[in-house]
Amino acid sequence: MKKLINQNTIYIFISLVILLLVFWLTNNNAKTYETSFSYMDTYINIKIKHSDATVANEALKEAERIYKEYHELTDRYNAYEGINNVYYINNTTQELYMIKLDAHLYDILAYGKSWYYKSNGIKNINLGNVIDVWKKYQLTKTGVPTNEELTKAGSIDIENIVLLEDNYILNNHPNIDLGSIAKGYTTQIVGDYFKSKGITSYIINAGGNVLVGKKSADTSYNIGIQDPDDSSKVFKVIIGNNIAVVTSGGYERYYEYEGVRYSHIINPMTLFPANLYKSVTVICDNSALGDSLSLILFVLPIEEGKVFIKDYPNVEAIWYTNDDQIVKSDGFNKYEQ
Amino acid sequence: MIKLLKAMGLINMNSKDFKLITGLLILAFIMIILIYIFKDNGAKAANVYYKNQLVLTIDMTLKTTKEYTVSGTNGDVVILYDNGKIKVEEENSPRHLCSKQGWISQSYESIICLPNNIVINITGIYAIDTIVK
Repeated sequence: MKKLINQNTIYIFISLVILLLVFWLTNNNAKTYETSFSYMDTYINIKIKHSDATVANEALKEAERIYKEYHELTDRYNAYEGINNVYYINNTTQELYMIKLDAHLYDILAYGKSWYYKSNGIKNINLGNVIDVWKKYQLTKTGVPTNEELTKAGSIDIENIVLLEDNYILNNHPNIDLGSIAKGYTTQIVGDYFKSKGITSYIINAGGNVLVGKKSADTSYNIGIQDPDDSSKVFKVIIGNNIAVVTSGGYERYYEYEGVRYSHIINPMTLFPANLYKSVTVICDNSALGDSLSLILFVLPIEEGKVFIKDYPNVEAIWYTNDDQIVKSDGFNKYEQ
Repeated sequence: MIKLLKAMGLINMNSKDFKLITGLLILAFIMIILIYIFKDNGAKAANVYYKNQLVLTIDMTLKTTKEYTVSGTNGDVVILYDNGKIKVEEENSPRHLCSKQGWISQSYESIICLPNNIVINITGIYAIDTIVK
C-alpha cells in the first residue's frame, strides 16, 4: 500500500495538474486573427476569434477576396479586364445593347434598385453624374454647383437601369453609382460567409459599416459611435451581438462653404446634399439593410424616419442633429447598458 | 491536514517535499493570475458622469493627447487624456482632491469629484471593441 502511492507519483500527478491548468487557461481563449486592407475607398479591418489558425487565416483571405471582387464589380471609375462592371455599363454607348453581367453584380443592382421603390425615390442608385458634380466641389471647397449644372449633369431616372432576365442589363444609358450600397452589401456577404464557416465571433469594420457576430457565450460587443465633430470621441456605445451598426454622415464626410455643411449624401429630390443631421446611425441585423436605412434616415425628417423604420423589425436609430441634439428611436435603449 | 493524510497512508513525504509542492502550487496560481491580467480585454474607454448621467465617453485606445471640458456643479471641469491615461487637470472645489489624484489608467480606477458631482470611471463594461465612423 505504501509503495503504491509514493512521492514520485504525487509529484508527477501535481505537475500534470499544473500543466493541464496552464494549457486549459491559454487554449480556452480562442485567439484573435486580424487583417486590414483598402477597398471601396475605405480602410477595412476584420478581427475574428477562433481556435483554429488555419480556418481563421483562410477565412480572412477569402474575406479580402470578396471585398476585392465587389470593389471591382461596383467600381465606376476603372475598367478591369474580363469584367463587365459598373464602369463598363455606364460607358457603353452602343444602343439597345444587352450586357451580360456577373450574377453578383446583377443581384446588387436589383437589390439597390428595389430600394428606390421602398423609399419612394429617396434612395436612388442612378445618381452617378450628380455625385460627380458635387465631388468636384467637395475637392476644391470653392463653392456650390448651380441648379442648372446639376440638372444638366445627366438623367437620374431609375428606369434607366433596365434589368432583364438571365443576368442581362439593357443599355439605357444609366449613371449607376453603388457607393451608397456596395460597402454594406459586401460586408453582409462576408459576415454570412464567416457564419457558414462556423466563425461566430467576428468584427468587420468598414468605416461607416460595422458588422459583429457574437462575442462569447456571456459577453456582448461594445461598438462606439464616433462623434461627428471630434474623431477622438465616442458619443454613444452600442452593446449587442449579431448586429450591424451603420452610420451615414459623420466626421469629415462633408465640406463647408460659407458656413453651410454639405454632406456627401445627395437628396435626389433637390439634387443637393441632405443637411438635417451631422450623422445618423442605424442598428439592425443586416449590414446591407443598415446601409440603405441609414441613408434614407439621413434624408428624412426625424419623425418621418421613425415611422419609416417601423416597417422593418429590429431596427433602431440614433440621430445627431446639426444643433448637437441626440435623438433615439423608441426601442433604442435595448442596445444601451 | 498533512498529518491526517500521512496517517491514512495516502501521502508519504517530508517537509521538503511539502515545501516544493506548495511552491509549485503558488507558481501555478501566479501563472493563472498573470494569464488573466494579460488576457485581451479589448479596448478601454473612460465614462464621465455628471449627477449620474453619462456626459462623455473617451476612447482610451488612442495614442493622442486631448483636453475635454465638462460642466460640473462649480463650473467647468477640465479632463486631460494622454495616451491611455486620464486625469482631471482643472476644477473648482475647496480642496482640489480630484485634480490632485493624478493619472488613472486601469479599468478598476475612478476619479470622483464630489463638489462638482463628476465621476470618471474606466470600466470593462464599456470597453470599446470597435468604432463606427
